[in-house]
Amino acid sequence: MKRSLLIIIVAVLASTALFGGSYLMSRRVCQACVTQSTDNLDWLREEFHLNDTDMARVRELHDGYMPRCAEMCGQIAAKKEELDAELHGATNITPIAKQKLTELAVLRSQCQAQMLEHFVRVSQAMPPEQGRRYLSEMERLTIGSHEQTEQTMSDHAGHMHGEH
Amino acid sequence: MNEENFNPDDAKLSTLLRQSRSAHSLPPRFQESVWRRIEENEAPVAARRGWFEELAARALRPRFALATAVVLVLGGSLFGVREGQQAARRDAQTRYVQSVAPNSLR
Repeated sequence: MKRSLLIIIVAVLASTALFGGSYLMSRRVCQACVTQSTDNLDWLREEFHLNDTDMARVRELHDGYMPRCAEMCGQIAAKKEELDAELHGATNITPIAKQKLTELAVLRSQCQAQMLEHFVRVSQAMPPEQGRRYLSEMERLTIGSHEQTEQTMSDHAGHMHGEH
Repeated sequence: MNEENFNPDDAKLSTLLRQSRSAHSLPPRFQESVWRRIEENEAPVAARRGWFEELAARALRPRFALATAVVLVLGGSLFGVREGQQAARRDAQTRYVQSVAPNSLR
């Protein structure tokens, strides 16, 4: 009985090691092979089955959008610094801080609108069905995740109010 | 066969029948071995050997161990490839989304 138990334990350990080892190795090799490319647009080509012509149009739109996106990001970062400076060491929200918050929100909404416009243009450069799927996916990944955060916060706030 | 020709008292026929009988010799301890096999078949499997011992004995068989190892390696590799492809796809998706939608907008 003791010998059998030992054999079974060794067999189970060896099986786990074999399965786990081959799983980890193949996972790593596969992931490394697939993610060799550094092109950010590779995902679009694979996911939405784009041909070279579609990809050329998408790349042109992407390259045109990136400097505008970077410029907006710079403006948002600068406004955040101004707001941080205003809030630093303050014990209450001053009218200037409120104004900075509003300006920051306006900049963010402008940037989001620009981003959504870009998604629409890219979706139009794709075959119709893939374009619809792209637009829906991008809205889910960007605005959708923001809504999810807000939903979580409102649920949490509701829960907190319920405790009072 | 014509039954009229068959006579059981025919001495010639009896001699021929006796001669046709083969005189095979039985292997040594034949009777004992037959009884042993009958008893083994009649006894319940669990009484002969517990399932745990049976499993351990099976694990030691080279053919069984090799087949199990091959199945485990193949299963692990297939599962790993599938997971690796999904992880790579998620990485690529994250890279694209980060490039077009900075974190401050999400």
